[in-house]
Amino acid sequence: MTRRKLIGDSLTFLTAGALALDIIFVIAVIVLIAAKGLGHFWQKDLIELKLNDGRVYLGEIWNRESNPDAGTRVRLKVGNRDVSGTDFIWVDERQVEVQTIPVNAVLVERSEWGNFYGYPVAIRHGDRILAEGSAAVMRRFGSVHAEKSRQLQRIHEIEKDEIGDVNFQIEKLRLTLRRVELGGGDSAARAELESQLDAQQYRYDRLVTKLESLNAEFESERLVLETADGIERAIVLGHVIRLVQPNVLSAVDAIGLYASRIGEFLTAESRESNTEGGVFPAIFGTVMMVFIMSIVVVPFGVLAAIYLREYAKEGLAVRVVRIAVNNLAGVPSIVFGVFGLGFFVYLMGGSIDRLFYPESLPNPTFGTGGILWASLTLALLTVPVVIVATEEGLAAVPQAARQGSRALGATRFETLWRVVVPAAMPGILTGLILAMARAAGEVAPLMIVGMVKLAPTLPVDGNFPFVHLERKFMHLGFHIFDVGFQSPNVEAVKPMVFATALVLILVVLATNLIAILLRNRLRRKYAASAV
Amino acid sequence: MRTAARPGPPISGRRRWAERVASLCVRVGGFAVVTGILGILAFLIAEVFPVLLASHVETEKQWSTTVTAPVLAVLTDEHRTHTATLAADGYLRIYRKGAEAPVMEEPIGDGRRIVSAKSVLGDTGFAVLAADGRIAWIPLEFSISFVEQTRVVQPEVSAPVWIATDQPAEDIEAFSVRHDATSTAAIFSTKDHHLAWIRISVEENMFTGEQAESVDRFDTQVSAAITEILIDREQRNVFAGATNGELFWWEVEGGALDQHATYRASEHAVTAMSMLIGDRSIVIGQADGSISVWFRVPQADGQIELQRIRDFPAHGSAIGLITPSERDRSFFALSNETMGLYYSTSSRTLWTGSPLLKGTTALSYAPKGDGVVFAGGGAVGLAHVENPHPEITLASLFGRVWYEDHAEPMWVWQSTGGTDEFEPKLGLTPLMLGTLKGTIYSLIIAIPLGILGALYTSQFVHPRMQSVIKPAVEIMASLPSVVLGFLAGLWLAPLLEKNFPMLVLMFLIHPPLILMSGWLWHALPKRFTARMVPGTELLLYGMIMAVGFALAFALAEPFEAQMFAGDFSRWLYESSGLRYDQRNAVVVGIAMGFAVIPIIFSIAEDAFSNVPKNLAAASLALGASRWETVVRVVLPTASAGIFSAIMIGLGRAVGETMIVLMATGNTPILDWSAFNGFRTLSANIAVEIPEAPHAGTLYRVLFISALLLFLLTFLINTVAEIVRQRLRQRFARL
Repeated sequence: MTRRKLIGDSLTFLTAGALALDIIFVIAVIVLIAAKGLGHFWQKDLIELKLNDGRVYLGEIWNRESNPDAGTRVRLKVGNRDVSGTDFIWVDERQVEVQTIPVNAVLVERSEWGNFYGYPVAIRHGDRILAEGSAAVMRRFGSVHAEKSRQLQRIHEIEKDEIGDVNFQIEKLRLTLRRVELGGGDSAARAELESQLDAQQYRYDRLVTKLESLNAEFESERLVLETADGIERAIVLGHVIRLVQPNVLSAVDAIGLYASRIGEFLTAESRESNTEGGVFPAIFGTVMMVFIMSIVVVPFGVLAAIYLREYAKEGLAVRVVRIAVNNLAGVPSIVFGVFGLGFFVYLMGGSIDRLFYPESLPNPTFGTGGILWASLTLALLTVPVVIVATEEGLAAVPQAARQGSRALGATRFETLWRVVVPAAMPGILTGLILAMARAAGEVAPLMIVGMVKLAPTLPVDGNFPFVHLERKFMHLGFHIFDVGFQSPNVEAVKPMVFATALVLILVVLATNLIAILLRNRLRRKYAASAV
Repeated sequence: MRTAARPGPPISGRRRWAERVASLCVRVGGFAVVTGILGILAFLIAEVFPVLLASHVETEKQWSTTVTAPVLAVLTDEHRTHTATLAADGYLRIYRKGAEAPVMEEPIGDGRRIVSAKSVLGDTGFAVLAADGRIAWIPLEFSISFVEQTRVVQPEVSAPVWIATDQPAEDIEAFSVRHDATSTAAIFSTKDHHLAWIRISVEENMFTGEQAESVDRFDTQVSAAITEILIDREQRNVFAGATNGELFWWEVEGGALDQHATYRASEHAVTAMSMLIGDRSIVIGQADGSISVWFRVPQADGQIELQRIRDFPAHGSAIGLITPSERDRSFFALSNETMGLYYSTSSRTLWTGSPLLKGTTALSYAPKGDGVVFAGGGAVGLAHVENPHPEITLASLFGRVWYEDHAEPMWVWQSTGGTDEFEPKLGLTPLMLGTLKGTIYSLIIAIPLGILGALYTSQFVHPRMQSVIKPAVEIMASLPSVVLGFLAGLWLAPLLEKNFPMLVLMFLIHPPLILMSGWLWHALPKRFTARMVPGTELLLYGMIMAVGFALAFALAEPFEAQMFAGDFSRWLYESSGLRYDQRNAVVVGIAMGFAVIPIIFSIAEDAFSNVPKNLAAASLALGASRWETVVRVVLPTASAGIFSAIMIGLGRAVGETMIVLMATGNTPILDWSAFNGFRTLSANIAVEIPEAPHAGTLYRVLFISALLLFLLTFLINTVAEIVRQRLRQRFARL
């Protein structure tokens, strides 16, 4: 007896071990991503290493690696890609003679070439020196930089809004002209369009001239820096995003810097082919895609569920359909992607192009991946989720409520609309939110039907019709794949990928959490009403 | 339960109308959505369907000309608007489609008669043997220009390259020419079994622009009477067929024709011979009507030999002409009574029929592979060829196929290559086995962890712990696979590469450690253990696991030194010849296992918890221990549920894309080793479909793999669902 119990208890322990491992897995993954993703924004000290062969390096310690044969080596992020060509360098710890934390060392985040690590020398305006020496440079930098930021904003306004607008008009006129030509249109209309085109072209030229002068002014100040091994570099001050002296940061400043970097990450566009800057376009693309998908998936999903639960005759056919719908949720998402490509992009998009956009052929308008097709594909992918959840919600509405309504003289539709659907609302919402969570995390089908590495414009802008459903878009999940696996410098982008993954997980978990809470409320509500 | 409509209070017209409309809307809409969803399957099938369509060859236009001299060779341009013929009277004539009189008529070789002529694969022009015994290459060009948006095709004949053979034409039995930018090579054989190779090379001096012409000639003897001879594009290999059915292969090497072994097709004379695109495969037609494809195959001893690869159904009489496509590996073969269209890689006979023109003397595939031009007996004709997906058969998708340059028939997936001449290898088997490999490795991780965890959760755990476990599993289920894939590829893979022995150690240490702690727990005095609330053992696991990790960490180095000679990957390579790839099946197994665990867990947990409580209670009341009750009562009752949990987990693993894409090297190799990567059907679709031209063969093959995935997962899920419903009914009865 005890022997049997002993074995039984030991095996029970084994099952508990499996469970514990599952939970440890989850916690480890979340903690790992959170730590790596959030840690990336925290500024480390800049360290200067003097090696015994005379080399001097200044940078942040990235990681250490110990090797039984070769001792410990340190990977230093030394930046200055424009000077040395690489961001990272391995240093054998045995070679280090002196390690210091220099007070004056600065880190320059800039819009090109990645970080610069060095010592401030001067700020120059042409040949004129505005500030000289480390302290003076740091004092003066703020005011000059603020001025540059204003200029930069103006330049962006012209580039994005005004020139963007002109380009949009020119493209539209060109296409209209082409359509007139295709239709064999009359010469008067053609001349009219051509004169309009000329006017826009003139506007464009003027804007470009203006932009050139602004750019010249913008680039007039230089920040002169010296690298650890004494090479001087003058950086266009306007390209500097942040100038930080990490080794003398106060706690408050450090936290401020941290917050500002997270803010930049969430709200800025990416730089340097997605390896730096923010992920705002990706967040925007993800949210917009999920939003469009929701608009499509709810009415169709709910309609199908109502049909199956309230209208269709319960029988073998409905049961088969129910199983089929259920199982569709288990069909691999890539299959939906393939379907989306063949059906939406090539068949529907191709037809729309031939019918409505013959002037831009052979360049496809809708006949290529875009946010609309991506949303529709995801809607198809998630519609079973909505159907199942809605059916569950409808089933939970007590028959008594229906019968009561009918007894009071309401028609079937009125009962449905006023009594059943409102009561099933939490179920519908749960389904929607689960669908949203699934859609936000799905990447594979989108790779085929509309995502791109870098979308030059958001799918929403100031040009009519404001929402451009045919445009390609960026997506958090694809961003992770692309940045992590297609960048040339994987080591440098890893922290960015972790941060992006954290954002994605938070979005997905938050939507899931809402769904879980809703479902619990729904259950409680009907548990109470059944009494 | 539906309440029957009973005469109640009067319903106004508007309300009745609304009721009708709503009912119609819901019925139509709901039905449309349901059929629409199921329409996915129909659409996938519709996209795959064209693969099954038969090829068509249909005469577009056939017209007679005023010329009576027999036509020796024909050509057409890319758009099949013009047809060039070379007749025995020594004239090159170019006809517009359907026109009786030529738009161009030019004598070749000063009005001498032409004895023989042929078109050459991959080049526009004619190889010619003139009556004076000279051989020539006559380059032809169809230049295309646009005038007012209409296409104008302008045929042009450039200066021929003449090569003197110093033999009378009637002595020359077979000849061939190959021309490129810098040289023209000719080969011919004579009645007295003499073979001569002549090459004229033009070299331009880079500084002066002067052109220097050099001529190489070497001769050799042959053992048989040659009927057909070919030169490959590199002007390096010469292949010939003889009257006795023998095949010869020479290599032009260091100023001599270096003869390889003699091969024998059969005792029947070789009557037609042609290269296929890429100049590797040779099609041979013989006097008995047989058609076979040969190419050079690397042998086990390192030698390369010409080998008979495949045969096509024989014609009833001698094969007279063979013309290859310049787009793919299809070719026409013509005998007196029959004409056939074949595809080499897939061994498919695409089309057979009677010759398009009785007494055809010249035949040529159109450059775009969409037509064929023929001439004979004063008539010229063009036919339209529709042969959209010749590469695919069931056998070529799933079976072994002998591809060019391969030593034996193999399962290969390699859809695109660097050049147009690449032979697409569309074998789905390596991908299916890759899918299976990924699934197996992930289930090895997921099944024990998922099912044992679910068993504990449903049977032993303290109810308060449920509030930790359920959310943890829900979080696990909702983690996007792209995040798991990225962690696996960029974090786990490099980590494992360095610490693989540690993982092995952990697998070895943990289960015994846990079992041992169970025993220890039991052995401890009751006054300690009694304090522990049953079901909170879980909390101990933090400790036990930590001890396990610490042990593994501490022992990793000595373990590696002892077992794997200090370096695991080197040890692995030296002891078994396996290479350790950083992104391998173990990494995928762990990452995909992570994705599958919550699915298996929640379905299994559901099955366990729904086992009627009275069964367990009865067992406990009869004196069985908790564990005995679980093993003897709960497990057997819920076994169908476990089965369906595993099936649904399997379905998920089969279709998972991102994790596989990111955590393996995506190489479509056939190998079960845990230490290298693979490519699955799903990842293959993601990788290839953005590059696949719409409605092309690759596109359709990817649709076939999508259809396979659909059917497979749908089947698995349906079986699991039916099993689950049966189980639920059984529980309800219990």
